Amino acid sequence: MDYSIPLVQASSGLRSLMTASKGKVFKESLVAQISAYVYYNAQVVSKLSSNAAFKNKFREIIFNQIDKDFAEFVDAQARVKPKSLHHVYEWRQTGDPSARLFKLNKLNTEGLGFSVSYEFMPSKTFASTEGNRRHVFTKKASVMEAGMPLKIAPRHSKRLVFETNGYTVFMPEGASVTVKSPGGASVRNSFMMTYSRFFKSNLVNVSIRKSGFQQLFNKSMSKALKLPAEIRTVKYSFSPNTLSVQADAALASAFGGAL
Amino acid sequence: MTVNYKLDSMLELRKYLWGRMITLGIFDADAYWSDNLGESIIPIFPVQQTPEMNQFLSGKKHIVYDKIGVSYDTLWLICTEQILFTVYSTDFSEINEIRNFMIDEFRRMDESAKDINKSAGFNSEKFKFHSIYVADMSPTAPSEELQGFYSADIILEAQYSRSTNSSGRYI
Repeated sequence: MDYSIPLVQASSGLRSLMTASKGKVFKESLVAQISAYVYYNAQVVSKLSSNAAFKNKFREIIFNQIDKDFAEFVDAQARVKPKSLHHVYEWRQTGDPSARLFKLNKLNTEGLGFSVSYEFMPSKTFASTEGNRRHVFTKKASVMEAGMPLKIAPRHSKRLVFETNGYTVFMPEGASVTVKSPGGASVRNSFMMTYSRFFKSNLVNVSIRKSGFQQLFNKSMSKALKLPAEIRTVKYSFSPNTLSVQADAALASAFGGAL
Repeated sequence: MTVNYKLDSMLELRKYLWGRMITLGIFDADAYWSDNLGESIIPIFPVQQTPEMNQFLSGKKHIVYDKIGVSYDTLWLICTEQILFTVYSTDFSEINEIRNFMIDEFRRMDESAKDINKSAGFNSEKFKFHSIYVADMSPTAPSEELQGFYSADIILEAQYSRSTNSSGRYI
């Protein structure tokens, strides 16, 4: 729910109090000033949560940290457990950050929220570097993760030739081979489990804290909420429109380049 | 004087862990005697596990570790590091024992760091731990990696600094 709407509605009730007559000088200027103060703060807060540029920056700073930490977490897991996670890296580069075949995506949702999903990227390296056999298994990560059986059939040659247990096997012409668990039995759903573990554990909270958004937000928010000089001086009448414009300016100044 | 860049906080942590687990009887050093090397092997390994090592460790509990990430913020003297420990054992209760030990040892943040700093053999001239805590711990489950073993992950997050000269460089 966007809480800025009831906030704006509540603060709009202060508009009438922001204009006072000079008959009761002391009291009415105070009421007008306090009303202007509350109205200004409400404007800043409500504008902030509905400001597209701020929302994007807010999401970006948190997502970037999660993206970095998650990828490093998977890298470490892959180095420690290569049998389970080799499939989400290019061949012979398990745990190497430059060889990842996965990436996180961000989907913006209501308010300041966003959801995260992952996708596998195509492999671009040769499955084997031996002899003349040069094959790129493009969907390596997604097929192995799903544990889909593979049927390997000759396309450019008459027969399949491969090595197993130190022996070279020559298949009959046109015959195919079925691999029941490509990548090994350990890889099936292992990335999904690693992903799930990161996002259901304390690790994602650690990552959000580490993003530093709280400090940056607090610092910028304090700056934006600093009252305009006009409200701090004794006045009997304040223009809601002027305060609204000042709130816009304060937000632009506080968050413009700070994040 | 030449700076020794081989020094690593993770190795200091490993040294401390091993000392504590021997003292508490969680590991028996004699069980890891290698006739080939003529010495005991510490069963807390970095990620590079050779097939020979797997054979040596057949059926024996051991820990594999790696750094997840290292980061410096604007306060560049303090490093934050996450370290992943994966505990393997054929006995479910042995993993739980190590998990409980790690929680007891490392959940106290500054106090846990103090214990490491004043432990015997700690390189206090070069390192100082400021805080350490258990960032995450997975349930104990059958290992997909090593058949016949159970495993559990323990992630520690440590904040430490390394002794520097007046220019902020390692000494």
